[in-house]
Amino acid sequence: MHPIIRLVNRNLTISLNPGFLIWQVIFPLIYIFVAGYAYAPLINDVPFGGKDLDYPAFLASGMIGFNIMNSTLISGILIWNDRRHGMFEQIMSGPFTRSHYILSNICTIGIIGLVSASLIAVVGYPVFFESVEFSFITIPIIIFGAITGSILFGSLASIISTRIHSSEGFNVIINTVFLFFAFVSTAFYPADGAPEPLRTAFYLNPLTYLVDVIRAGIFGTITEFVIIEMIILVGIASVLFIIASKLLTKLDF
Amino acid sequence: MSCINVNHLSKSYGSVNAVDDIVLSVNSGQVFGFLGPNGAGKSTTIKLLTTLIPPSSGSLSILGVDAVKNPLNVRHKIGVVLQQPSYEPTLTVEKSLDKYGMMWNVPKKIRKKRMEQLLQDFDLVEIRKKRNEDLSIGQRRRVQVAREFMHDMELLFLDEPTVGLDPSARRKLLDYLKNKVKTGLTIFYTTHILSEAEYLCDEIAIIDKGKIIAIDSPNALKSRFGKEKTIKIHLLETQSNISALLSGISDCKINFETGTNIIIHSEQSELVLLQVLKILNENNIQIEDLSAVPTNLEDIFLKMVKENASNN
Repeated sequence: MHPIIRLVNRNLTISLNPGFLIWQVIFPLIYIFVAGYAYAPLINDVPFGGKDLDYPAFLASGMIGFNIMNSTLISGILIWNDRRHGMFEQIMSGPFTRSHYILSNICTIGIIGLVSASLIAVVGYPVFFESVEFSFITIPIIIFGAITGSILFGSLASIISTRIHSSEGFNVIINTVFLFFAFVSTAFYPADGAPEPLRTAFYLNPLTYLVDVIRAGIFGTITEFVIIEMIILVGIASVLFIIASKLLTKLDF
Repeated sequence: MSCINVNHLSKSYGSVNAVDDIVLSVNSGQVFGFLGPNGAGKSTTIKLLTTLIPPSSGSLSILGVDAVKNPLNVRHKIGVVLQQPSYEPTLTVEKSLDKYGMMWNVPKKIRKKRMEQLLQDFDLVEIRKKRNEDLSIGQRRRVQVAREFMHDMELLFLDEPTVGLDPSARRKLLDYLKNKVKTGLTIFYTTHILSEAEYLCDEIAIIDKGKIIAIDSPNALKSRFGKEKTIKIHLLETQSNISALLSGISDCKINFETGTNIIIHSEQSELVLLQVLKILNENNIQIEDLSAVPTNLEDIFLKMVKENASNN
């Protein structure tokens, strides 16, 4: 078995516990079925890519991107725990290179991101099925979004985990950054209609691009703007991945 | 045949030489002890030998492989138990062993068999379902050492493996290691507990301030550096004039404690003892207890480190 596959196996074993899986499903379900239907009378149809979506459908599709981001926190937690509990040094003294370690983390978050997206897509399907337009183009776009988003946010969490030394600092920074990403984005509400400074802030946030790409994939609304968003997503993910890899390569024992 | 060959190896951090031009050769099938005070460079040397960090200069061959050019090839052949604890908090003891074996690409059937054997050998059967985060420091340490035997290796580095273990677990581990060496394994062993080194090691190197100050077998080190012996005499009653009575004896250093205890340090201990006994007998001074303290590795270690410090 290839060293990366062995490390992915190990990463998945230590990351996936029943508590995490329940949290990954229950948390978005509450958003979709409680917040979605509670806010529906207040929020009329939401325009997206030439379509009018009802709010629960809009929110459910946004929750896929949100969930991908949340699940990639695992990447940071993995690295943090490995450093804190001596496993990083132990693994590096075994039959592995740093490249194996970095790539195994990326594969792990890619798998968790995809599974996470699939879970919410299945659970949310009854909510947005009336507007769904799957095709040969849209499904690969959703997969592309899930993988690119996982790499992007996983790299970001990895960067934070390599720079912060205390567990309190790590938790505060991760939660602050991810809270900003979650609520200053189009995951919960559309950019159109928001005050101009807030709308600008939405588009400084990679989660907005991820959510837009996933929504475009689900509702079949691929526009030129969505393609630009995909390019931006790849660009940010690549830059963050390179930075995360460099930092992990330089990590001292 | 030597399995570790170190030639003029150095590691510097800025202006600090953590390891300073060391030369070392370790023969296969033995336990090589690596001793030194805190901050002497033991852990840095282990990190260099296990390819965790690259040297600043010098060459390093492990099991015939150039460790600087081919670190991954070396890591395939060695096992490492580092000084700091390493564990996955959420895994149970048996899962830790199994996953560690999997990481080393050990086939599932062999993993299962080895795991059961190691659970027995390291007294882990009762806690096999416990999560690592719920174990005591000593239990966690036993898991960490046991885990390393899940995979095959030719050379094992152990950096203070008995830290946190109770005396019985410590002795059990040392005996386990002794048996493993009989099967051909070579062990590079660092410790602060010199009685352990004396019990386990075939050869010992003492490092201080990044430099190796002695390499030899424990017995050879004792005969080279441990000629001076200590004799303790406990008198039945306090003798106020004992210091004056023994003042004429040469070739020794005599300390008096509380008027009843006499401690004699001498390289001619037998001759000095005869003279002391003669004087005590002539003065009707009764002895309650007499003992000769054999030179141990700890005395030699302390002496050498002290001498090295004063030379510097």
